[in-house]
Amino acid sequence: MTHVLTHDELAALIKGRAGIAVDPLDLGRPGATFEEFGVDSLALLGIVGELENTYATPITPGAEMSKTPQDFLDAVNASATTGA
Amino acid sequence: MTSDPPDRRTVVTGIGVIAPNGVGADDFWKATREGASVLGPITREGCGQMPLRVAGQVGGFDAEAAVEGRYLVQTDRFTHYAMAAADLALEDARLRPDENSPFATGVVTAAGSGGGEFGQRELQNLWGQGPRFVGPYQSIAWFYAASTGQISIRGGFKGPCAVVASDEAGGLDALAHAARTIARGADAVVVGGAEAPLAPYSMVCQLGYPELSLGDDPATAYLPFSPEANGFVPAEGGAMFVLEHERAARRRGARIRAELAGHAATFTGASRWAESREGLAHAIRAALEQASCAPDEVDVVFADALGVPEADRAEALALADVLGEHAARVPVTAPKAGTGRAYCGAPLLDAAAAVLAMEQGFVPPTPNVTGTAYDLDLVCGYGRTAELRTALVLSRGLMGSNAALVLRAGRPS
Repeated sequence: MTHVLTHDELAALIKGRAGIAVDPLDLGRPGATFEEFGVDSLALLGIVGELENTYATPITPGAEMSKTPQDFLDAVNASATTGA
Repeated sequence: MTSDPPDRRTVVTGIGVIAPNGVGADDFWKATREGASVLGPITREGCGQMPLRVAGQVGGFDAEAAVEGRYLVQTDRFTHYAMAAADLALEDARLRPDENSPFATGVVTAAGSGGGEFGQRELQNLWGQGPRFVGPYQSIAWFYAASTGQISIRGGFKGPCAVVASDEAGGLDALAHAARTIARGADAVVVGGAEAPLAPYSMVCQLGYPELSLGDDPATAYLPFSPEANGFVPAEGGAMFVLEHERAARRRGARIRAELAGHAATFTGASRWAESREGLAHAIRAALEQASCAPDEVDVVFADALGVPEADRAEALALADVLGEHAARVPVTAPKAGTGRAYCGAPLLDAAAAVLAMEQGFVPPTPNVTGTAYDLDLVCGYGRTAELRTALVLSRGLMGSNAALVLRAGRPS
């Protein structure tokens, strides 16, 4: 996966997969956690699945356990450059 | 219930209805008392080629307006109905989730088949595209316990929670389970159930029921107790209630709408309708005994009314077995003839109608049916004004469960 996931795209995925509207700017706020938006690991698991299907690239196992949007983007985008 | 010490009495303080003939108890009662039939062709996507033509669909329900997006994406339609009905019941009871200790309020639902529509979509993803295309919410959305779990999470109810999977009559068993939960110490239970069986996979599952009516005329497809009875039609929807410990309800000044006075359940085997006579009679007798209710105190019967001659006859005979001569005099009604049978939701809708009937002093009629083949005073055509203090609600499931519930009119605080 050579695509780099952005806050905007993550917000759209959260809306689509978890039904939760989140402002991308809030996702990017330093110290933001998934818990404050009500995004749990099942929601992230669905997002990981969609990214893997869309880009046909496996994502580092455990990305769905990320506590913060930044950790999640780091895990996903690291998978993008290393191919997991 | 009354076999418990008087201060453990269970009362109804809130009613929430999502029914084919109305969303909300007011609209539901208005249609029910008029005897309006809302049976019609099934219009859901993918259902047009099915031999099952007529059912009771819920209309006028906007899931997105009723339930937050985060709960909608992880749940099936049956849970959407249950969550919305729970909100209506809580609003009616004026019970705020934070009013009691979170551990004082439990949730109990009955479920007949779980989330078939959601499950079908994910199974199509599985076999159409592969396992990686199955979403994680499939793990919870189809499951019988989904509505209990989601109502508990969404409302913050951390008291005893359960799901009753005991066939269609499980709707009444759920109310009894909630009453036992209250007898053991809970202040309140959000209880009921709703079903959503009108989707292609769910409908295929029902096609094997010999009791299903495949008639295509909504006016004649479901005619319980009539000489022309030829099966039942399914429906979706259901009802949720707030049941409370009477003392807890009075303490907070709640309006007591009815009392759960007695319940009993029996099992007589799938489609053994002649034998359901004995099972249903036993359930009625035990429920009346628990309610300390003499047979002639029953003021109205909300019948199971399957619409299969052998089953209708068994129900009429069961009533005669227990109520004696009173069976031919007591008004018997089956409002579900105008809405269809929402499986576990059906007896819960009847329980809601029974409470409303007692409050309004009015027996609603049996839509579409003009006469009965049995020795019953079946209320047809127009409803009747009557003083109603005790209602008997009956339910049987296709798999052989029988249940009876005795409700008493609420007494002023």
